[in-house]
Formats: sequence, C-alpha cells, structure tokens
Amino acid sequence: MTIPAGTVLVVDDESLNRLLLTRSLEQEGLRVQSASNGLEALDMLRSRPFDLVLLDIVMPLADGFDVLAAMKADPTLTHVPVIVISAVDDMESVVRGIEMGAEDYLPKPFDRSLLRARINAGLAKKRLLDLQREYLEQVGRVVDAAIAMEAGRFEPELLEPVSRRTDALGQMARVFTRMARHVQEREDRLKEQVRELSIEIDHTRSARRAAEVTETEYFQNLERRVDELRIAADQ
Amino acid sequence: MAILIAVHSFRGGTGKSNTTANVAALLAADGKRVGVVDTDIQSPGIHILFGLDQDTMGQSLNHYLWGQCTMVDAAHDVTPGTAAAAGGKVWLVPSSIRAHDIARVMREGYDVGVLNEGVRSLIQTLSLDVLLLDTHPGLVEETLLSIAMCNSLAIVLRPDQQDFEGTHVTLTVARRLKVPRITLVVNNTPAGYDAEEVRAKVATTYGCEVAAVLPHSDDLLELGSAGILAVRQPDHALTGLYRQVAAALLASG
Repeated sequence: MTIPAGTVLVVDDESLNRLLLTRSLEQEGLRVQSASNGLEALDMLRSRPFDLVLLDIVMPLADGFDVLAAMKADPTLTHVPVIVISAVDDMESVVRGIEMGAEDYLPKPFDRSLLRARINAGLAKKRLLDLQREYLEQVGRVVDAAIAMEAGRFEPELLEPVSRRTDALGQMARVFTRMARHVQEREDRLKEQVRELSIEIDHTRSARRAAEVTETEYFQNLERRVDELRIAADQ
Repeated sequence: MAILIAVHSFRGGTGKSNTTANVAALLAADGKRVGVVDTDIQSPGIHILFGLDQDTMGQSLNHYLWGQCTMVDAAHDVTPGTAAAAGGKVWLVPSSIRAHDIARVMREGYDVGVLNEGVRSLIQTLSLDVLLLDTHPGLVEETLLSIAMCNSLAIVLRPDQQDFEGTHVTLTVARRLKVPRITLVVNNTPAGYDAEEVRAKVATTYGCEVAAVLPHSDDLLELGSAGILAVRQPDHALTGLYRQVAAALLASG
C-alpha cells in the first residue's frame, strides 16, 4: 500500500530514533523534518505546514503532552494528526495522549509495517480533513458572494477559486458568477440608458382634439351646469 | 367634508383602476369611509381587484341608473381586513359586466342628473369621507360628467408621447370645466428614468402637480387582478408611492 505523499515532523529527543524514523519515512516517499524537543517542535509547527506529527512523550524542556496540549489549543494546528511514540509497556501515556487528542500511537521499538499502516491512516485522515476544511471555506466564499451581491459590491474574483472546482459546488459558483455578470451588464446598460425625459406636444393638434370635445352640445350643456353638478367638498 | 375624486386616464391600460383601488384601500386603512364607483360602464373591471364575484354581484350602477334600486343598494361592502381593523370602510358600486346591460347603457344612455343625485346620496347616506370615481378612459360623455362633478381630478398617464398629448387634451377640457384641483400620476415608468426628473419635467410641462412617479413593477404585474398590492404587500415600495398619491389627493380636496 502506498503512503499518501505528505510532510511529517518527527519529534524525539533520541537522535537514533529520529534517524531511524526519518529514514523509514523517506523510503516511503515522504518529506521528513525532525525536532529534538517539544519547544523546537512547536516553533517548527508554527512556521510551516505539516501533514502529520510523530511525537515522543518523554522529552526535556517541553514533553509530548505539552506539545499536544499546545497544538490542540491552537486553531491553526488542532487539525494536524498526531501519533504518539511510546514504550510498549507505557500504556498509561498512550491512553493519556489519545485522550488529549492524539490519533494513534506507535510503540518502540519501531515495526516498519506498523509504522507504515499508522502513517498511512494518519495522512489519509489529514487529507480528508483538508478537503473538508477547503470545502467549508469555499462554501463560505459562496455565502459571502451572495451577501456581497445583495449589497451591490460583488466582485467575480471572489469566487474564482471555487469556480475551478469540478464538483457541484464549482458548478454553482460558475453559474452564480455568470448570473452576477449578466445582472451587472444589465445594470450598466440601464445606467447608460438614463436620459432626460422628452415630452413633445403638438399644441395645434391638441387644441383641435380638445375642441372636438368642447364644441359638442353635451359638453356645452355640462359647462353651463357645472356649478350645479359639482359636488361641493363641504356638502 | 366629502372629497369626490375622479381618477381618469386618456388611454386604457395606464393603471387607472389599480391606482383607484390602492388609494381606496390605503385611505380606508387610515380609518376613512371610502366609496368607489365604477363609472367605466363600457368596460368595468375594478370589482375584480376588490374580489367581488361577477356572477353573484347583484345590484350595480346600471340598476341604479335604470331606476331599479337606490345607489346605496348597489354599494357592496368590500372593506379589506387591514382597513376594518383601523375602523375604515370601503364600499364599491360596480358596473354590470353583463353584455346586454353594457349594450343597453350604450344604446339608451342615462340621465346626467340621475348619476349626480346618486353620487350625492351615496356620500350622504354612507357618511363618506372620500368617493372615488373610476372613469372610462378617453373623453366620452360619462367621463366628462365625472370630471364635471368631481372636486379633485387625478389623471393617470404613462410616460410616452401618445399619453403626453392625450393628457394635454384632458387637462384643457378639465380646466374648461373648472375642476378645483388637478393632480397627475405618472405610472409604469420604465427603469432608467430618474423619478425626480420625470416629476419635475411633467409638472413644468403641464403646470400641474405630480402626485407620484410610479415605476414599472414586476410584482404588480405578477399580482395582476388577483388583489390589491397595498393590501397584499403594505411594505412594498410601490405601496409607499400609492400612499403619496392618496395623501396628495386628500390634500388636493
């Protein structure tokens, strides 16, 4: 089984362990960086993206639990899967690590097959989470676009990343952008059409048409009786 | 103080009946006692907006003119719910939609004095604050009579050349009949025109007050004859403009 490509951070204070893990993972086609203590690990995690962390528990400065707690408290790191490294007989640490949010554990000494299986599962989960996060972020962009549209400040660039998707959300973004463009074009045309109202009256013809009414016997009778016919406002 | 308002247009299809119905509903929603008489005997239609059933309509203006009932007998209570809550009332005197009734009026005509008396009795018997006459378009005899009787005239026009000239003719005639107050309502204005510019231009051209410039409305088009916009959608922008028309017509009375 092939491990999904990704970047792994190996955190262990023992240089031999770091070397073994690094080599094994690199042989699986992964990019690997390592840290020898918890503080260094957190610095690295905050300065560049990682897809998975292999985290030893017992370390100087900040131990594995400190790193785990800091990661789960940090919204930018909480989604990065962590596999804790522990001695076979230290199940108490494993349980605590998992309770604190670690995905899995890897017993020492390392078994290559087990390492591959756990890394594989961790990276697959990370990839799924990334897709989910990206999807939700892009749904948010569509919602923002609708709000901007209503406020008359929609810019088609807002939806460009979503429009590149090949799924239904991408299609919705493309349709939305196209409709928004049509609305904008229509509004632009209307703005161009705003013009001063022109009222042209042929006064000679108007007078003739009025005379056709006012010269009738019926009208002249009404005109004579208008004071008697008019309903007074104070009646 | 009863105000008799004739709502008129030179051409058909300008939105005269819709304007009349919306203004009536809004005045009643303000607690007014409002009467509406459909004097468009040749092509009646406003009863549909008020939801009056054509088949069971009963007495109409035609029956009154032929001496078959009193004007008050022909007045149907069509008060919308919103108006009833405010203590307002709307009575409608419809015209008959039966073809032979229409033909008979066209053939025989009717006595000017009879309609005049009917309007007076309606105002007095129902203690009306306002009576609106929905007239027949153009300058036919019954329209001229409505203009002669009213103390306030609203002319509804669309902003196109044919209506501009027709409205000029109507104004000339109405001024000869010494109508105390005349108000223009510019209706169905296409998008792209600035309402305030249209108002100013029309007012200056005719030397006449413009009550409102109403835009073309897809919502009104969609509602069709199924009801009165001011009743169905009291917060609609167009309802706000009808409110301006109602206020202007009352002020002009």
